[in-house]
Amino acid sequence: MQIYKDYKDHADFLTVYVREAHPTDEWQMNSNVKEDVCYAQPKTLEQRVAIANDFVRRFNYPTQFGIDDMSNAANDAYAAWPERIYIIDEKGRIAYRGGMGPFNYHPEEARAWLASRYGEVKREASTAVLDKKNN
Amino acid sequence: MLKWIGAVVVLLILAVVIGLSVMAGSLRGAYGMVRYAFPHMHRGTLRVGDDAPDASLLALDGNSRFHIRERTGARPLVIVFGSYT
Repeated sequence: MQIYKDYKDHADFLTVYVREAHPTDEWQMNSNVKEDVCYAQPKTLEQRVAIANDFVRRFNYPTQFGIDDMSNAANDAYAAWPERIYIIDEKGRIAYRGGMGPFNYHPEEARAWLASRYGEVKREASTAVLDKKNN
Repeated sequence: MLKWIGAVVVLLILAVVIGLSVMAGSLRGAYGMVRYAFPHMHRGTLRVGDDAPDASLLALDGNSRFHIRERTGARPLVIVFGSYT
């Protein structure tokens, strides 16, 4: 996750796991079968925790991590599903609101916001797997 | 006249089905998109400058909890929402 690597000295990062986008019992994608990412839609919070831990272990995912409740409270509050990025400023206000994924999911916009504040930062590139998962 | 209206409606439906199939990669994908994705996709009402909503989250250990608001204040907080699949 290159953006984290580049700006972790300036900003905090939090990843929030929300309901699955392409589980086996709903709209499964062929790419998930090829990459062996096959999970049914969790029916319990324990199942969400298990999948989130699989994800973090597989990608050695570095950021703080939180899991949304089965009530989907965080998802509903942020209209987050299937994927979306926000930046909250020091006053607790929305500073950047990303578009709804996948078509309007643009991590480079969040990077541009950070760059406008802290300048362009480019550390040594992270692994290909991490870059593929989250720019 | 009714024949023409019927033909137009059929053509519109066909266009929507073809368009969704192209977007989703297949007819089956189009069905999945309509059946499972559309009901959960929301533009949302948050705008830049709004107070960020709070929510309770479960930590990876499956026991401890924290609030989004607890992680804000000192520095900007980048929140990435998503799932594994």
